[in-house]
Amino acid sequence: MKKKILVANRGEIALRVIRAIQELDHVAIGVYETPDNDALHIRTADEAVWLGDGPRCDYLNIDKVIAAAKKAGADAIHPGYGFLAENPAFAKACEDAGIIFIGPPSDVVQSLGDKVTARRIMKEAGIPMVPGTDNLPAGDDGVQMAVEFCRKYGYPVMLKATAGGGGRGIRRVDNEKQLRAEIPVARAEAKAAFNNDSVYLEKVVLTPKHIEVQIIADKAGTTVHLGSRDCSIQRRNQKLVEIAPSLIEDKALVDKICETAVKAAKAAKYFNAGTVEFLVDKDRNFYFMEINTRIQVEHTVTEMVTGIDIVRTQIKLALGKKLSFSQEDVQIRGYAIEVRINAEDPQNNFMPEGGKTVSVYRSPGGYGVRLDGFVYQGYTIPEVYDSLLVKLTVHGFSWNETVDRLRRCLNNFVIIGPKTTIPFYLRVIDDRDFKKGEFDTSFLDTHTHLLEYEDVESEGSKLARLIAEIHYRKENPYAV
Amino acid sequence: MGRIVHGMSPAEVVRTLRQADGYYVTNTARDLSQSDYKNRILLHTDLLAAKPREQAGFFSLEITGGASIHVDILRKQVDPFLKLELLRERMPKTMFQTLCRGINLFGYRPYPQNVIRLVVREYAKYVDVWRVFDFLNHVPNMVAVFEEVQKAGMVLEPAVCFSTGPEHTDDYYVRKVGEILKVTGQEITLCIKNHGGLGTPKRIGDLVDAILQKYPDLIIHYHGHNTDGNDVARTTAAVLAGAKIVDASDHAFSGYYGPPSILTVVQTLAEYGRKAVGLDEKAVVETSDVLRSERKYYEYFESQFKGFDPTVQLHKLPGGAAGSSFEQAVKGKFLEKMPTILHEELPKVQKELGNFWSVTPGSQILWTTAVSNVQGGDRYGNPSGDLKNLLLGKYGPFPFYQPADWIYEKVFGASWKEVLKKEGGMDKIEDMDIAKERQELASKLGYEPTDQQLVTYLQHPNDAVAFFKFEEKFGRAHVLPPSILFRRGGFKLGETIKFCDHSGKEHVIEIGPMQTDEDGKTHVYLNVDHHQRVFEFEPEAVKGGEAKAAKLSKQEIEDLAKAGDMRAPFNANVCEVSVAVGQEVKVGDRLAILEAMKMQTPINSLVNGKVEKIATKVGAAVQPGDELVKVTPAE
Repeated sequence: MKKKILVANRGEIALRVIRAIQELDHVAIGVYETPDNDALHIRTADEAVWLGDGPRCDYLNIDKVIAAAKKAGADAIHPGYGFLAENPAFAKACEDAGIIFIGPPSDVVQSLGDKVTARRIMKEAGIPMVPGTDNLPAGDDGVQMAVEFCRKYGYPVMLKATAGGGGRGIRRVDNEKQLRAEIPVARAEAKAAFNNDSVYLEKVVLTPKHIEVQIIADKAGTTVHLGSRDCSIQRRNQKLVEIAPSLIEDKALVDKICETAVKAAKAAKYFNAGTVEFLVDKDRNFYFMEINTRIQVEHTVTEMVTGIDIVRTQIKLALGKKLSFSQEDVQIRGYAIEVRINAEDPQNNFMPEGGKTVSVYRSPGGYGVRLDGFVYQGYTIPEVYDSLLVKLTVHGFSWNETVDRLRRCLNNFVIIGPKTTIPFYLRVIDDRDFKKGEFDTSFLDTHTHLLEYEDVESEGSKLARLIAEIHYRKENPYAV
Repeated sequence: MGRIVHGMSPAEVVRTLRQADGYYVTNTARDLSQSDYKNRILLHTDLLAAKPREQAGFFSLEITGGASIHVDILRKQVDPFLKLELLRERMPKTMFQTLCRGINLFGYRPYPQNVIRLVVREYAKYVDVWRVFDFLNHVPNMVAVFEEVQKAGMVLEPAVCFSTGPEHTDDYYVRKVGEILKVTGQEITLCIKNHGGLGTPKRIGDLVDAILQKYPDLIIHYHGHNTDGNDVARTTAAVLAGAKIVDASDHAFSGYYGPPSILTVVQTLAEYGRKAVGLDEKAVVETSDVLRSERKYYEYFESQFKGFDPTVQLHKLPGGAAGSSFEQAVKGKFLEKMPTILHEELPKVQKELGNFWSVTPGSQILWTTAVSNVQGGDRYGNPSGDLKNLLLGKYGPFPFYQPADWIYEKVFGASWKEVLKKEGGMDKIEDMDIAKERQELASKLGYEPTDQQLVTYLQHPNDAVAFFKFEEKFGRAHVLPPSILFRRGGFKLGETIKFCDHSGKEHVIEIGPMQTDEDGKTHVYLNVDHHQRVFEFEPEAVKGGEAKAAKLSKQEIEDLAKAGDMRAPFNANVCEVSVAVGQEVKVGDRLAILEAMKMQTPINSLVNGKVEKIATKVGAAVQPGDELVKVTPAE
């Protein structure tokens, strides 16, 4: 029977989920705030419910989303990533309203979302951990506790929002003065972003690789992993380039990390799709970081190398189906790379280019190429949301082939209007260390020269501008 | 065959000319463009004609120099060096010729010696034949160019400017030639530069003969204009008297004020048994067959008044000036006074000012003075700066006589003698600090300029920078044909334009609709390489309207911050103001917090001091450059 499924999100992920719903022959319901009334996810959804004027408050408003689901008669809600995706209150509200939440149960979201609780669960299960504090008490006591922790383990440390995730609510602290200054700022930011001002500290593992494992579990407790991903290339803890599988040559180590991820998921009584994140240091020690209880931006690379549609699986499991494949069925074929093409100016500290109109949008195609985007020619990028325009994912049989394909695709991309991260990625993938797979989370800091490139506008485009001017002025103002 | 080609040494060129049984032809494409088309014939057109012109076997193709270098960057948006490079690719054999105004180079006023030498050195890499003149026939004004051309191993062609009148005797010119030869030696070609097309065929024949009587081995290159319609006869007379090279142009483009048609000259001389050495007449015809269909695109730049003008013998305006004088008369609304100006005042002014040669920049001075005399009513009552400089001898000494005292008195007042004594004579022009100029250009462009860019900049600083910026914005526009660059009235909806860019890649542009919105902004829709593009044009600024506040650059924002004036560095919302007016702050203290794209960024003080002003509030949306907090730095 056809189910109605509401997608409580926007942008490319809303579109991604809507596509899976429509492929399953269910009915996709979109929601939107006013700035998104022209957005592609609304154009593609079978039905749409307006939440409010926004911006960025109605997508976060549990009552409004639940009311929209009820109004549309939704059987289930897919939260995507960001917004309410990892808010246990939202999962709980769905459960209370008798709507299926496509994700883990609210108590699992709650316990894994609270990083301190999550650490405790993992510690008990014997999962290797980075040294860290509990939630810092309010006021001076918290500062004192933080200072003492740092004196014991040394700087640098990470100051993290307990309710944070996705790279947000994290800041690095290098000394005591900075620590004292940053704690109140971090709390205020956490309060504003997650409505929860809890923060805690973790020792920084210097120059680690960020390796994560996609896991998926059905309600019967069958838990499998879909292999590893390397998301080490990051800017301010925001992932930019994601790769599957990890390029670590020691296959036994990667296997061990994947098995540990399954163990961690089981310890958390995990259900549906999730990601277990690890740091791997130079000495091949690996540490549990966190479990993300949602679909992730970079799930595409895992889909490309396993052939498994994770979002489709998520929906089927949430609707009560059992996993249709076992661990043995999961085969990794080749490599996949995803780059996030953002409307940002890499040369101006990745400043967002919101407010600009995409006057030309020409995307690459061909073998092994996947695009998850939501922009179109003529689309004006709202200033109030994030700057992701399109995710480009390429798949290849070997690592070299995959990198070659990525370069070709980036060169074939034409986006005129906002500045984008494309020229920066072109520099990254031409880097020798990148090609050799030798990179960790310090890659951007140690390769700042990759930001030194020049904007190139094609001659055709420049001359078209002159022709436009001759046309507009009715004569060539430069010739008479 | 006896064809003279690019790469021959000056000695070889001169030797070949001396031994030649016949005469050679220079194709004066540049002078034709300047005289009849306001210098607008585009590189695109010259490239179309390149193959048959190369085949034609000219002594040289005059394709650069004069005013063309300035017009190249100012109105044609083509790099004058790139133009020569591209032509050379397609014309490997033909010698390229330039016209250089001596100390005034390709401009209108004297340049410093070191600039002259640098410019000549750079152009000598492309230009084989250097015709050099001075409008006062003052040889010292040409010496620096002479020396550099000879040093570069290129063919030097000093010119004597020719005019008519009682002072313009054979004796005078023969003496002038002697003066030149003393500096240059005989391994040159000597030009008789008849830029107005003055005198009769007999007069020209006599002059050539007189010079050759004295210097029998000298190669004479006759240059004339067909303004009165009689230059074929003058050219014929010159060759019959022994001139070895003559100037003429492609008939498809020949007009009224430029040089005569090549074929007419060649056919006329053939009747006298004189042969055009190395010339392929079929290729000359083919060139014009190629060019003919292009002429219509230049119609706007042709003279409004068509027809030969025998009165040139009175007003003596050179080719280009004759055509554009009518344009100025139309624009200045004094067309009805043109007969007075051209036939009465200009001849009078010529005589009064010393009967020198009406050619750049002298022709401009004569013309401006004549117009001013007629228009103002009070003769010499409103002298231009250039006229004053001429009278003071800044361009060089008067060749025949100094203008009458009353003119000096009119121009400089009662104490004119003192002025003349104090300020008269040529100024010594100090050398320029070229390294400093290079730095200045680099800072204007934001990148290190090439030597060629520097050379263009040294001659025309503002126009060169504007041109380089144009290229950055619009690309290399010389690839576009005149049908596009000179289109008037806009393109037709749906019109398709195809062209190859400088790298050779073909592009196709289809003209879409054009709309103006309620703010007056116009949107031009083009389909560029099969993708829709929109180009926006702001409404023309209304006079007296409020100027939009200039946006601060990133650097300016940083600089202000270092002075305690914190501005928003990006689009954001203010989520905290952390200080109060009067509060003491130290370096690193938080002044405010901005939030953009979900990230909070503290704005910390870069100075120690006291908060003077809070210019924002929590919740405010700020744009780059907006004031946030101002701190008065402590002493």
